[in-house]
Amino acid sequence: MTTNGAPAEDAGQRPYAVLDGVGKEFFSARTGERETVFDGFSLTLHHGELVAVVGASGTGKTTLLHLVAGLEHADTGRITLDDETRTDGPPGPAGPSGTEGTGHRLGVVFQQPRLLDWLSVRRNVELALTSAGLDPAGASQALADVGLAQYADRYPSVLSGGQRQRAAVARAFAVQPELVLLDEPFSALDQLTARRLRLLLQDLWTARPRTGLLVTHNPLEAAFLADRVIVLDGRPARVHAEFAIGLPRPRAPEDPRVFDHQTEILAALG
Amino acid sequence: MTRHTAVRADPAPATPSPAGTPSVPAASVRVRRGRPARARNPVRAALPVAAFFAVLVGGWQAVAARSDNVLVPDVPAVWTALSDTVTQPLFYDSLGATLLRVGLGFALAFVTAVVVGIAMGRVEFVRRFFEPAVLIGLTVPGLVWALLCVIWFGVSLTNPVVAVALSAAPALTLSIYQGTRALDSELHEMAYVYRFSLVTKLRFLWLPSLLPALLSGARLGLSLSWKVIVLVEMFGMSSGVGYELNNQFAAQNVAGVLSWTLLFALVMAVLEYGVLQGLERRLGRWRKAASI
Repeated sequence: MTTNGAPAEDAGQRPYAVLDGVGKEFFSARTGERETVFDGFSLTLHHGELVAVVGASGTGKTTLLHLVAGLEHADTGRITLDDETRTDGPPGPAGPSGTEGTGHRLGVVFQQPRLLDWLSVRRNVELALTSAGLDPAGASQALADVGLAQYADRYPSVLSGGQRQRAAVARAFAVQPELVLLDEPFSALDQLTARRLRLLLQDLWTARPRTGLLVTHNPLEAAFLADRVIVLDGRPARVHAEFAIGLPRPRAPEDPRVFDHQTEILAALG
Repeated sequence: MTRHTAVRADPAPATPSPAGTPSVPAASVRVRRGRPARARNPVRAALPVAAFFAVLVGGWQAVAARSDNVLVPDVPAVWTALSDTVTQPLFYDSLGATLLRVGLGFALAFVTAVVVGIAMGRVEFVRRFFEPAVLIGLTVPGLVWALLCVIWFGVSLTNPVVAVALSAAPALTLSIYQGTRALDSELHEMAYVYRFSLVTKLRFLWLPSLLPALLSGARLGLSLSWKVIVLVEMFGMSSGVGYELNNQFAAQNVAGVLSWTLLFALVMAVLEYGVLQGLERRLGRWRKAASI
């Protein structure tokens, strides 16, 4: 991992991902009614900024992340990544089959590791690398960075939950993504493992800042990792509150200032 | 099916699966745990099988000795017929002809089933279109396909190939369709965000996900194929195992009928349990690793 280019603060105000007046509706399978998740929703992620989105379950946090990832299409409005429109106006072909937005390299960590169980951990990372047009040899370094060097040739099924999620983190950062999307990345893990992985994520981020969107229901995680925290609320969802976390990195999880921010966020959620 | 039953009868039965677990994963857990147990003590595992054959042969001999009827040949007579049959070149020619027919018909059924099954799993219209065909195909007895194909195609190679394909394809299609439905949409999202190419997706996501369905479908399809090929060869062919069976039947040679049947069953068992199950085990290594 090398730190090249300008520090994050300098590029901080250049917009990278822009959601402009995005609307998204779902047919609820339960009630059979249309539910409006987003209506005229706008959000900007700046270059080199890690934005956390918190909110109760069902407020559309994951939908937001899926929209940015291109896994779902906005009904109205536009989403631009680095000045290129991803979704404009009426929805394209449903489902993740579209080819638009291929120019942007994404690193995504889902709540579940989502590894291919029939391939070794190394092959899992290598596949993502070759698909991104990168040298698959980078897989070893990426796995070493997350402390999985000795497990590289094992099948994911013999690893612990935390190790599998480490592998998923390694894959996300191995592709040298312009945008990192984290969808409740550590909420399926136990407290201690989650804490270790948060520290690992901070290390990776400090080594090479990128633009990131973190979706979480954990206010402490948001306060610890993010530069900016957005609280989503209501249906259709809107930005209920917004906090800038101006703490320098590396941060300590026990830092009282992190706790202060957590308290603020909790109050806004309440 | 047979394998599950065998494992359940293991001397050390697996612990009951936790409540609420769907039945299919529960069954696979049982299979997984059964394997190391068998590997630890092969003698103990082979004992019930040996006992079964001892009872079968002994029972047969007892019945044959008591009835003293030419229609129930005793074990030495069957054994003589068996060794006569395997030493004739006719046996190998017939077996080769039958295997070729089954192979071609099965390949045709397999290709059709893969295409139709995947399409059914992905496209609602295709599913509704083919569903009646699959249901009808499953319910029509193999004997009917055999008769119809003899009438339509005569003694050409088309006859057995089409008959085998028609009887195996519906079950295969159903199995592959269900496998497609069970595909993990989460992994497809992963493949999308990491921009996997179509080839990568087919090779590393689709094929491994569908493999269990393909293999279990193949075993089911093969077992259906054996049953129908014998009928076709009886009615409409002048060679093959079914034809020779019919000859033995016409000559009222019960020992001959038995020896042909036993040998044919043996070859099929080797193919099904040796080849297909071996393949399944080899390709499922990653799954076995999980039980350590």
